[in-house]
Amino acid sequence: MIEQEKNEVTENCGISRRGFLGLLGAGAATAAVVASTESDASMLGHKSDKKMGFQQSESQYEEALNNPPKIPNYDWNKHRWSYGVDVDRCIGCLRCMEACKAENSVQEDANHHRTWVERYVYLEGQDEAIVDSSADPKNIENVGSELHFRFDNRYEQEKVEKAFFVPKLCNQCDEPSCVQVCPTGATFKAMDGVVLIDTKYCFGCQYCVQACPYGVRSLNEQRGTAEKCNWCYHRITKGLNPACVEVCPTGSRVFGDLNDDNSPISQFIRNNKVTVLKSEMGNKPNLYYVGADKEVS
Amino acid sequence: MPKHIVRLLTVIAVIAVVALTARWFFRDSSFYRYGHYRGDAPAEIASKLPKHQGSASCQTCHKAIYGEWAAGIHRKATKDNVIQGVVVKAGPGCEVCHTAAGNHPSKEPMPLSVEDQITTITHLKHHTHASNIPGRKLMLTPDEMRGLCMNCHEKMPGRPSKQPQVVIETHAGEELCTTCHNPHSPKIDYNKVPRLVAMKKAGTANPAAGGSVAKNCATCHGASGVSASGAIPNLAGQKQAYLANALRAYKSKTRDNGIMSAMAAGLSESDIDNVAAFYSRNSCKVTGGDKSKIAAGKAKFESAGCAACHASGGLRKPGMAGISASQAWPNLAGQNAEYLSSALKAYQQGAAKATQEGGRYNPVMTGVAKHLSETDIENLAAFLASTNCK
Repeated sequence: MIEQEKNEVTENCGISRRGFLGLLGAGAATAAVVASTESDASMLGHKSDKKMGFQQSESQYEEALNNPPKIPNYDWNKHRWSYGVDVDRCIGCLRCMEACKAENSVQEDANHHRTWVERYVYLEGQDEAIVDSSADPKNIENVGSELHFRFDNRYEQEKVEKAFFVPKLCNQCDEPSCVQVCPTGATFKAMDGVVLIDTKYCFGCQYCVQACPYGVRSLNEQRGTAEKCNWCYHRITKGLNPACVEVCPTGSRVFGDLNDDNSPISQFIRNNKVTVLKSEMGNKPNLYYVGADKEVS
Repeated sequence: MPKHIVRLLTVIAVIAVVALTARWFFRDSSFYRYGHYRGDAPAEIASKLPKHQGSASCQTCHKAIYGEWAAGIHRKATKDNVIQGVVVKAGPGCEVCHTAAGNHPSKEPMPLSVEDQITTITHLKHHTHASNIPGRKLMLTPDEMRGLCMNCHEKMPGRPSKQPQVVIETHAGEELCTTCHNPHSPKIDYNKVPRLVAMKKAGTANPAAGGSVAKNCATCHGASGVSASGAIPNLAGQKQAYLANALRAYKSKTRDNGIMSAMAAGLSESDIDNVAAFYSRNSCKVTGGDKSKIAAGKAKFESAGCAACHASGGLRKPGMAGISASQAWPNLAGQNAEYLSSALKAYQQGAAKATQEGGRYNPVMTGVAKHLSETDIENLAAFLASTNCK
């Protein structure tokens, strides 16, 4: 009786349970194979001839190619922006941070910033670095204002074995976690490599803030939207350098177009042994460091 | 089909229609054009106007200063433009210290006079002109000015050894950075900075020998530097380097005064240093005066911004009023009221009458004096005359 019922059910659906499971398995296997070949290809650097953008369909890619956004004298298909930081040259003056906040009207307090600088100090006989950043309460107290930034000289009297400053900013990853989690399409990867935020579509859910492995995102509480470095997209599309690169007095920050062999960044990458931060996260950052110590991440 | 199924399907259909309509209505037409985002967004983000304009944009109007900077060491962070195969950008540009240019000068009436510009830069009080002038946050007090240099040049663990760094206490003491360095081109040729030469010599001067030189000056300036008449300045307790600078200026006639130039012409270089040392070590005489005037003058001294330079603590720290922050600037404490007010009035006349007898011009002083009324000047003079210089 039970057997009969079963047969009836399968007849009604037109497919047996076994058949269905089999199909499922085959589908998963195919997907896995496709996925693995894809990731192999991208790991080797040949994504495909088409260099499609992150999470972009073929028709959307064609549209981006043939009908780019109307930015005067700028075609986003012709550029591949990248950024370099030479840790050995940073003096920790924090001019970059102040310039960035002015240029991008970032919320004016200590804990909102698009770029910042960290100080790593190894005291004599210690294996681990003591890290403080420009937004450290002691540094803020030392300046006495949250509009200006400066490192205090707290290690003046200490025996310091090794110390250095590390500028941090958005890595503009090739595979950005923040874009992946954004529920409204408010953040996206432009064709020239920059990850942008559309403040009209962002409603401040902060998924992206949590998703970013580098901690470069924050919530702008005045606007109620996410805040992040976009390499001064309004400047680079006009042929200017980002504001932080513009004001860096020592040339610690380098910016340019990878499509141009003679651009500062191409030379920077060609002539130095560069690293990226947290490569194990698989985000494929576009921000290259020279002289970043083992503890920098 | 049973009735309840039909109802259910109707409800689902209505919801679907509403949802699709809402989606069609609310979704931006450019969404999905290039991906799962608004296609218009990149152009909107790119349309923002830059606030940092780059040093080259300052060149058009500020030619002389730009030239100083371009020829100096602040133009380049390093000797050549390529290190480790990387093209190194020029060193600190205008906006590194003066902050972003923004829309300066396009949204403000130009050109501002030199005095107005400096007043805007030096004195927060007089922000009546262009609020977007880059550098308006600059040079508020000697301390803040030093802070600006110290941002990059304070000796600190972590800074690369190539970066020039100083410990301010041993490098400069209480002196200002700008007494010796030109911030636009800070590398010093020690033999070419008059103020520095004067200060160096000041250390080797002989006040006792200066005493005998001073006998020639006693008729007008008094034996110890407390002058015989209100119109003649007291010299006792004045800054040594300032006195020496003034005498050299009289001697070379860059500061022209019939009697003083004639007197200074007879002094040798060492005479000048010695006599300056002699007077600077003497004590001044403090005169009393109208107490209400003194109180009003004291308030004005702070509010007009005099304290930024002519008080030992600057604007925001308690210090001695009338004792200047730099060796290069005169002390005002214990000075004759009559002499002070005539000097301020001469500064008010500005550049136009600078070459006349008794004329004075200095962009900073003229800029400040222009905002003072006659009563202000009287009160200020009374206050400073009543202040002790030691």
